[in-house]
Amino acid sequence: MNPQLTGIERITGTYPFDLRASAKTLRLNRFFWNFRLVEKRELFHRSEAEAMQQAGLTAEEAALVSARDWLGLIQYGVNFFVLEKFARVVKMSNLEVYAKMRGESFEDFLKTRRVPDAR
Amino acid sequence: MATIIGGIGTSHVPTIGVVYDKKRGEEPAWKPLFEGYRPVAQWLKEQKPDVLIVFYNDHANSFFFDFYPTFALGISPTFELADEGAGKRPLPPFRGHPALAVHLAEQLVNDEFDLTIFQDQPLDHGFHSPLPLMLPHEPDWPVAVVPIQINVLQYPLPTAARCYKLGQAVRRAVACFPEDLKIAVLGTGGLSHQIHGERTGFNNEPWDHEFLELLQHSPTELTKLKHIDYVERGGAEGAEVIMWLAMRGCLPDSITRLHKNYYLATTTAMTVALYEPSKAV
Repeated sequence: MNPQLTGIERITGTYPFDLRASAKTLRLNRFFWNFRLVEKRELFHRSEAEAMQQAGLTAEEAALVSARDWLGLIQYGVNFFVLEKFARVVKMSNLEVYAKMRGESFEDFLKTRRVPDAR
Repeated sequence: MATIIGGIGTSHVPTIGVVYDKKRGEEPAWKPLFEGYRPVAQWLKEQKPDVLIVFYNDHANSFFFDFYPTFALGISPTFELADEGAGKRPLPPFRGHPALAVHLAEQLVNDEFDLTIFQDQPLDHGFHSPLPLMLPHEPDWPVAVVPIQINVLQYPLPTAARCYKLGQAVRRAVACFPEDLKIAVLGTGGLSHQIHGERTGFNNEPWDHEFLELLQHSPTELTKLKHIDYVERGGAEGAEVIMWLAMRGCLPDSITRLHKNYYLATTTAMTVALYEPSKAV
């Protein structure tokens, strides 16, 4: 265990992206990372199934992607900073993804913010 | 001889860049943030540094997890802006300073900081999201840059203490660069925020202010904290404030804070602070 993170389990709702997660999710993270390329975005829009098959995703991973299960993907070990590229592809803002991860409606999430117009 | 004339800590929230590019900085929700950068812009205009050394992190744009550097220094003459998936920002590329960057690489490795060196890699919002609020940039930026990338994405991250020592090593390296250069150092990121998991939206304003006090007066206290302490107090992604410690390490023990702006609007406590070495009394 990383000596800098001893006791991290006590901080609930938090999933440190470490080398174990990174090794497990390399293909899935690369799938999302590639959405910075226009041709990968177009392929996904043309056929989600083909895009996921080409990327070599497992059935479990494909199900998480198809369900747009943002929290599930984080819990599976995906890194947020590639996941946000997927959010752009499916036309979601980061704030909308944040609400999903908290299990709240977007409107309810904004009510918890000091300046909800700052977006 | 090259001299470090001051340090700047700044958030690098990507929305700052989006709002700037869409010329929405006068909107009531954003004006408190944009106004907060004016004193920094004025200081840079008056002090005219030749080079900015910027401690920042890449957000899986130039570097991916197949090969992810802990510390990486850019030595190119020019740095493009990364296309992060929504097209490149309408800003000119950055001018590097290869002579200083190569000097830093040689000195830092000799000083036991075994850096990765990069060339021809673009820079993402971790580097540039707030820069146009501080610097004129038409037709070009008035200052050269040396980027130093720090891994704050994939654990194990460098420790807070290591980041501070990196800054101290940069300070030593700058001091033996023969050319007369005025250098300002930047550390980007923070302050408190978390943007993954059910704890998304976490902030901690008292901790943010305590962090700023400690950073100025007792940075070694901050170097004693572990990553879990930063995650617990400032949110998982808020732990990136260790990059401010690298900036702080470049400055002398006694510093004066000339300016601070703190604006917690949605999810990140967006902050900018400006420091100078204290004048001898």
